[in-house]
Amino acid sequence: MIDAKKTIVVTGIGVISPYGIGLSSLRDGMLRGECCLRQASELYPGFEGTVAAVSVLPPPVEGHHYSRSDRLAMAAARDAVEDLSGFDLRESGIVMASTVAGLTEIDPEITKGPAAWYRHGGLSRAASYQVSRVAASVGEHLGILGPACAVSVACASGAMAIALAANMLLDEAAPMVLAGGSDALCPFTLSGFNSLQALDQEPCRPFSQDRKGLNLGEGAAVLVLETLAHAQQRDARILAVLRGWAMTNDASHPTAPQKDGMGLAACIERALEMAACSVDEVGYVNAHGTGTPLNDIAETHAYESAFHGRSRPVPVSSTKSYFGHCLGAAGALEAAITITAMQEGALFPTLRLNNPIESSKVDWLRGELRREPLPVAMSVSAGFGGSNAALVFGSHCL
Amino acid sequence: MNTTLPVLTGIGSVTPYGPQAGLISAEPLEPSVITAWPTPGLRRAFLVEPFRPASIVPGLKTRRLDRLSAWALVASSLALRDAGIDLSQMDRSRIAVFFATGFGCVELTEAFYQSAATNGWAGTDPITFPETLSNAPASHVALFHDLRGPNVTVSSKSFAAESALLQAASLLRHGQADMAIVLAGDTLTQAVYEWYEAAHRLSPACFCNEPMSAAGGFIPGEGVVAMVLEPAGRPAASHYAVLSAGRWATGGDAQASIRELLGDAHLDFTICSGNGAPCATTSLTGSGHNLVGETAIIPALPVAAGMGEAGGLLHLLLALSKRPGHGEALLLGTSAHGGYAALRLELS
Repeated sequence: MIDAKKTIVVTGIGVISPYGIGLSSLRDGMLRGECCLRQASELYPGFEGTVAAVSVLPPPVEGHHYSRSDRLAMAAARDAVEDLSGFDLRESGIVMASTVAGLTEIDPEITKGPAAWYRHGGLSRAASYQVSRVAASVGEHLGILGPACAVSVACASGAMAIALAANMLLDEAAPMVLAGGSDALCPFTLSGFNSLQALDQEPCRPFSQDRKGLNLGEGAAVLVLETLAHAQQRDARILAVLRGWAMTNDASHPTAPQKDGMGLAACIERALEMAACSVDEVGYVNAHGTGTPLNDIAETHAYESAFHGRSRPVPVSSTKSYFGHCLGAAGALEAAITITAMQEGALFPTLRLNNPIESSKVDWLRGELRREPLPVAMSVSAGFGGSNAALVFGSHCL
Repeated sequence: MNTTLPVLTGIGSVTPYGPQAGLISAEPLEPSVITAWPTPGLRRAFLVEPFRPASIVPGLKTRRLDRLSAWALVASSLALRDAGIDLSQMDRSRIAVFFATGFGCVELTEAFYQSAATNGWAGTDPITFPETLSNAPASHVALFHDLRGPNVTVSSKSFAAESALLQAASLLRHGQADMAIVLAGDTLTQAVYEWYEAAHRLSPACFCNEPMSAAGGFIPGEGVVAMVLEPAGRPAASHYAVLSAGRWATGGDAQASIRELLGDAHLDFTICSGNGAPCATTSLTGSGHNLVGETAIIPALPVAAGMGEAGGLLHLLLALSKRPGHGEALLLGTSAHGGYAALRLELS
C-alpha cells in the first residue's frame, strides 16, 4: 500500500540543451544518435578542445542582468511549467544546482582593480555572481515565492538538488518543488579543466579503455516534483516516480574519486534500499561517465560492487558522449534522460564506445539503440570533493 | 523535550571573536581596519585575525587551503569537541556535512582569475581550480574527519545558514543521516568589499574610526560557525537547543506562515537574524513585534549581519551566548525583498 503523501512523483520536465529547448528536442536528437560536440575554438578563439553549446538561448530580459547560467535555468524552468497553466506556482519551492553560476559574467580584468572594473559596467554583472542567483532568477521569472535554495556540490549538484527537493516535499515545505541544475560554458571552467589536463581534445569516449578525458557542455534541466497525493488532487500527468535517492561522500581525496568506488557503491545501495528495489529490477543506469581515466574505472568498480548480486550484467551508458559534461546541470539533465529512457523503452548507448573497460558485471550499452521495457532506471552522479548522488526512478507507482 | 527532534549539541566558531568552542563572550565588537589590501582611505570590516589552525586543532594541515576551508576545519573540529563526540565510536558513513555560503571560495576564485590575468587562460593554476568550487570546504571537512554521509553545500539568498540548518534536520528526520555538522561562512576579499562599496551598501562606520551607529548600510564580516545537530538521546557534553520546526520562503505572507509555524507556542525570545540592510531591519522589527508581542527581542548584532547570507548561525550563536535564560525562541530573519526564515527553538 503506497502512502501518496510520501511518494514523490515527477510531473513536468523542462530542458534547454545543445539540441534546443524542450525535452522532445533532446529525446529526438538522442534517439537519432546525434552528437552535439563541436570545436571549442568556434566559440572561444584560442581555446582548443571539444564542447557542446546551446545556440537557442532566449534573449536577455530588458532592465535586468542575468548571467548565462541564470538564463539557461529560466528557460528550462519556463519549459518545465508549460503544462501547468492555471496552477498557482507562488507557494512552490525551488532547488537549483550550479557550479559556474555567474562566473560567466566575471573576467580576469577584475583582479587588476575591482573598483575600476565595477565602475566600467562590472557592478551589475557582479550582482549575478553568487550561486544563489540561479534559484532566485527562476523565482523572479516565474513569480515563485516559496523556499528557494541553490546547491553547489560540483558535478553531483544537479542530482542532489532533486534529492533535497524530495526531502522538502516530505517535510511539506512546499506543495511543489522545481528542482534541477543549470551551468553555462565559460573560459573559467574551460581553462580550469584544461589546466588539470582533464579535457579530451576530441569527442570524449566514456568507459572506453582508450578514453582521454571529458568534454564540457552547457544546458539546464528542471523537474517538477510533488507528492503523489498533490498530483492526483490536481489530476496531473505523472511522468515518473522518484522511488529512491541517496547522497554520500568518499572522504578519500579532494579531487580524485575513491579508486575502488566504494563511496559511490554505498550511495547506489542506499538509493536502492530507499526505493525498496532489488538489484535485478534496475533495467538501466545512466552513469556519471565523464570519460576521464580515474572516474570511469572507479565508477565501473562501484557498479561491480553495488550490483554484484544481479543475475545478469547491469546495462550502463554515459550520455555525456552526446553533449558533454554540463557540470552542475549534468545530474538534472541525466535525470531527465533517464525518465525519457523509461518512457521510450530506449536504452541510450554510449557513443564511440568501441573498446570498453572489461567487466563481467556491466553490460556496456554501445552501438545500436536498444529497446526494451524499463520499469526502473537509475541516474548516478559524482563530483570533485568526493560527493556522490544516486536517483532511482520508476515508471509507475508500486 | 521531544526526543524525535534534532538537538544542537556542539558549537565551534572562527569569527572576529577568534576561534572558540561553545558559546562566546558576545561583547560588542568594533570593526578592524583593513590592511590585507590597498584601500583608497580608511576602510573597516569585521575581520578574523590570522591564527595558526594547528595551534587550535593539533595535526591540522592547512598550508594548501584557503581561509574558508581552514576555518571550516577548525570550526567543525571545535564543534565536535564541544559536543563531546568521539568519532571513532560512530558510523561515519551516517554523518552528514551541510555547508552554507554566500560567496563560496571567492579568495581562490580571485586567485584563479589573477593567474589568468597574468599568464592567460592557457596558463592558469591547476592546484587552485578545484579549490575554487563552493563545496571545497565541506569536502575538506569530510576528508579530515572521514565523514562519508551526505555532503551538501547550499546557498540561499539572505538565508543560506537557516536553510542549511533546516535541510540538515530533514536528513536526520528522514533517516538519511544520524548526525550532521552544519556550517555557515564566508571570507571577505577586496573584490567583494569593493562590490559592496560600489553598490553603496556599506555603513558609514566602514569609513571612519568612530564607534558604530545604527546608520544605514552594513559592515561586512567574515568567519565560519559550525553546529552539531543530532537526534536527542545521546548523553551530550552540552545541549544548547532543540530545533522544533522551521520554514523559509522568498516572499508571500510571512506573518501568516510564521503564525502557523508557532501554533500555540508561548515565545520567550525572538532572535533577530537577517542581513542587516536598513529596510530589512525595519521590516524585521516590525514583523517581530506583530508576531511575538512583548517577548524579549534579541536584536541582530552587526558582526553577524556583516556575514550576510551565511550569518544565520552566527546570529544564533550570539543569541545563545547572550540570552538571559531558558525558553522557547524564534530565530527570525527577513530580507529586503520580502523573504523570511523562521526557526522555532527550545533553548536549554
